[in-house]
Amino acid sequence: MSENTNLSSLTGAAWNSRERAETDSPSLSAPASQPITICINGERRQFEVGRDLLPTTTLSAFLRERLGYTGLKISCDEGACGACTVIMDGKAVLSCMLLAVEADGHEILTIEGLPEDDPVIEAFAEQCEPGHGTALQCGYCTPGFVMTARALLNENPTPTVDEVKQALSGNLCRCGCYAGITRAVLHAAEKIAARGGCP
Amino acid sequence: MSRPFKPRVSRRFIGSYRPRIDAIEKAHGRARYADDEASERQYPGLLHARVLRSPHPRARIKRLDTAKAAALPGVRTILTYRDPEIAGLKPTNAGWTDAVDTVSYDRMMWHKFRDRNVLGDYATWAGDEVGVAIAADTEIIAEQALRAVEVEWEPLAFVLDPLKAMESGAPIVHPQIAANNVLPPDPIGGPDVFLTKGDVEQGFATADVVIEMDTSHHNPTQASLDPWCCVAEWKEDRLTVFSNSYSADQTRMHISQMLEMPIHKVRIISKYVGGQFGRCDTGDQPFFLFTALLARKTGRPVKFKHTRRDSFHDTRQGALYHCKVGATTDGRITALHLKSIGDIGAHADHSVFALKFAPAEIAEAALAPVPNLKMESYAVYTDRIPGCMMRGVGNSQFNFIFGRMIDGLAERLDMDPIDLARKNFGHAWGVCPDPSLTAVLETGAARIGWAEKRHKPGLGPLYEGARKRGVGFSLHPGWHAEWQEERRGQVQAKITLHPDGTVTLDAPTVETGTGSNTCNVLGCAEALGFLGIRPEDITWVSTVDTNNGMRDCVQTDSAVSFLQSEVLAVAAEQLKQKLLDLAAPALGVPASQLTVAGGQITAPGRSISVKDLLWQGDLVPLSVMVSRRPSNKKTGVPYIASFAEVEVDMDTGRTQVLKLVIVNDCGTVMYASGAEAQQVGGQVMAMGEALTEELIYDPVRGVPLNFNFIDYKIPTILDMPSIEPVLLEVWRGAGEYGACGIGEGTVSCTPRAIANAIYNAIGVRVDELPLTPDKVLRALGKI
Repeated sequence: MSENTNLSSLTGAAWNSRERAETDSPSLSAPASQPITICINGERRQFEVGRDLLPTTTLSAFLRERLGYTGLKISCDEGACGACTVIMDGKAVLSCMLLAVEADGHEILTIEGLPEDDPVIEAFAEQCEPGHGTALQCGYCTPGFVMTARALLNENPTPTVDEVKQALSGNLCRCGCYAGITRAVLHAAEKIAARGGCP
Repeated sequence: MSRPFKPRVSRRFIGSYRPRIDAIEKAHGRARYADDEASERQYPGLLHARVLRSPHPRARIKRLDTAKAAALPGVRTILTYRDPEIAGLKPTNAGWTDAVDTVSYDRMMWHKFRDRNVLGDYATWAGDEVGVAIAADTEIIAEQALRAVEVEWEPLAFVLDPLKAMESGAPIVHPQIAANNVLPPDPIGGPDVFLTKGDVEQGFATADVVIEMDTSHHNPTQASLDPWCCVAEWKEDRLTVFSNSYSADQTRMHISQMLEMPIHKVRIISKYVGGQFGRCDTGDQPFFLFTALLARKTGRPVKFKHTRRDSFHDTRQGALYHCKVGATTDGRITALHLKSIGDIGAHADHSVFALKFAPAEIAEAALAPVPNLKMESYAVYTDRIPGCMMRGVGNSQFNFIFGRMIDGLAERLDMDPIDLARKNFGHAWGVCPDPSLTAVLETGAARIGWAEKRHKPGLGPLYEGARKRGVGFSLHPGWHAEWQEERRGQVQAKITLHPDGTVTLDAPTVETGTGSNTCNVLGCAEALGFLGIRPEDITWVSTVDTNNGMRDCVQTDSAVSFLQSEVLAVAAEQLKQKLLDLAAPALGVPASQLTVAGGQITAPGRSISVKDLLWQGDLVPLSVMVSRRPSNKKTGVPYIASFAEVEVDMDTGRTQVLKLVIVNDCGTVMYASGAEAQQVGGQVMAMGEALTEELIYDPVRGVPLNFNFIDYKIPTILDMPSIEPVLLEVWRGAGEYGACGIGEGTVSCTPRAIANAIYNAIGVRVDELPLTPDKVLRALGKI
């Protein structure tokens, strides 16, 4: 898909007429062809509001549908499950609760932007410590958990179990891998320490 | 404090602790689900479908005008109930199967209960898909078009409560099927009194003690994070549907028969699915049909995806149970009478499976020593969200009364409920006390601290001034052992040995997160031990595609992991023979004189490696495809149990679970990390339905109020207690491994274990799920 693709390709349940009506205020109705710049996974990219996205396009729909970052998932589309979590300026955010235009001038990191040997990803994949189960089963919530954990460890590379649970309490896992996930985050912290504190 | 499981038979790969085979792909977010695939990138010209949902619990469409909707720019087509391709569709239902295999329309399991008219004009619950489906350039336009459709509804009297629905004069949901809202007897479920053994009246007469009790199980929802999604695309007269259905073959049969297309022209593809848990029963949802018809009409691919609200689509059936049980003073049950009233919601689907078929199977497996038994059930239509399978079918509802009966009767007899259970339950082909039952109860009791922590109901010490603690358990026969899967019919798998000695494994089943894919690979590596290969040398085909000519093993009954491994054991033997036949001329001796081990084929005095043998030929892979029906050898079933320790705040009524111990006798543990993930993971669903999850309806308007993840409260990481998973191998089934499914059963016992623990803590019963603070306070007489 080229960047000139028609807006018709942009979808997302948040784009219903109710929300469009509610967000149709002057501050959010950017004039046609207004440029915005978002740094996505280290690359500065320019988009035109009106051409590439609507003022009402959520960040989650924009990243998935327009740019193909399908690692994040749109599961509840109302900020209740954490499956769409990405990192904005170092903090975990729910991309379904942000408009794409709000990311103008900010740095967005999606799971695709993490390195192959990211310690959090490695730890989630490896978890099989007896008594806790794996850190993922169906895998649908996993990118959201990985990004939330990643943001936590960036700020606090040696969290306690309670700190891990507090940080991840906005993410739902219906397969119920919370115990394995907690172990994985603690193991990721150990990996970071073993690499000399480099995340 | 958790102890790793120790296998009964040491094997190389089966039973190991290791990462899932898809762990790296999923941890990187690279596993692609239906919603990831169904995009403009993959399907140029993709259209988006929306369907009209009834705002009323019961209503008929009096008048419909789609002119304004059709005039909106970007609307490509509209189908309504008046169009011949919709109006001509046969009435349908779940049950394109007579259990878990695939059947045609005329052999549908519940053919007397075909109560779904695809896009009909009659809605029977608030949320019912009726009347109109629209395809448009974007989801927004489709949604706007839906709002522009002018519908004049005729709201009709409705009923939400199954007991009220049974009263004379109640509004009748599907008059042509159930004249009094109660499903009539059918060939599979049987009559209302569906099981009679001995004479219960006689049994009660000879009892020293007779007690009665009632329980109520509500209808929680599966809440898979991956909402239903499908994309339908036509090439000429051939239809391809990519979806997150977990039963590709049944989905194909459903579409083929309903759209009257030859089977070979319908192709179903499923890949990764973000959690299934039984939602929508089987591959027969009406949205497959109207999405396919919208695609045919427009000549463009069409995507249909549930919103989160739409995903509140079906539930575990609510069920009221009444139990009367008689016993002698030494703790022998003389008679047991169980009666249930199921709230099946607006569609029958597999409700009779849950209310009659599964309980009869439980009786056969667990209640065999009870001399006098009577079981009856009434499946009642209401204008609520339909019931269906949810991590088990009928088991959780049954367990909620079963565990109550054990706890209550033991108290009345002044016995330990563990002793009462051992004395009375087991299976018809084993001995009583049942060794598996004894093992799960004794192990669970030891791990929770049963002897030390249990006290007379309500008489334990106070903690922090206002809190009381208690312990409880519940047990259940496990399912499904291989003989219980005979109805599934042939299970198919194909092993392809490549010329370089690596393997492609096609054991078709949709990957829904259960871990059966990893079991498959471990089972394949185990069975192909003679090749000297490792799991890493095997590629598991992660996409189920009906065009490959094999039927997928439906992800139900938690049985896929061991059923396919049993087939692979047979396939591996056949592959070995093929290999030896190939080697015979090369080594100049008859195949009967050859042996193969560790990747080396040996004849008297000479040998050749498998790889060298294959590499010198014409480089055609060796393939074996095996179809095998599960063994019907009646081996009984193993047992499962949950033990819970809770703390109840006597001022607020809030229950906090302090610890859960989940014990499964697996027969053989196929994949230890995966099994423990199911044991630990299942508790999110089990604790949710026990304590916090509840679908709330406005009784006046008849509409649901909390079909979202904010008000429907799924436990988070902060809500979960310490959970100890315990895997045992005591019982043994048929076949090479003799294993049993465990995933579904991990949720069945926990709500009752928690309820019994609450009783032990506070000394009064709360027998209506969910066990919310208001009910606890009411039971305590505080409100």
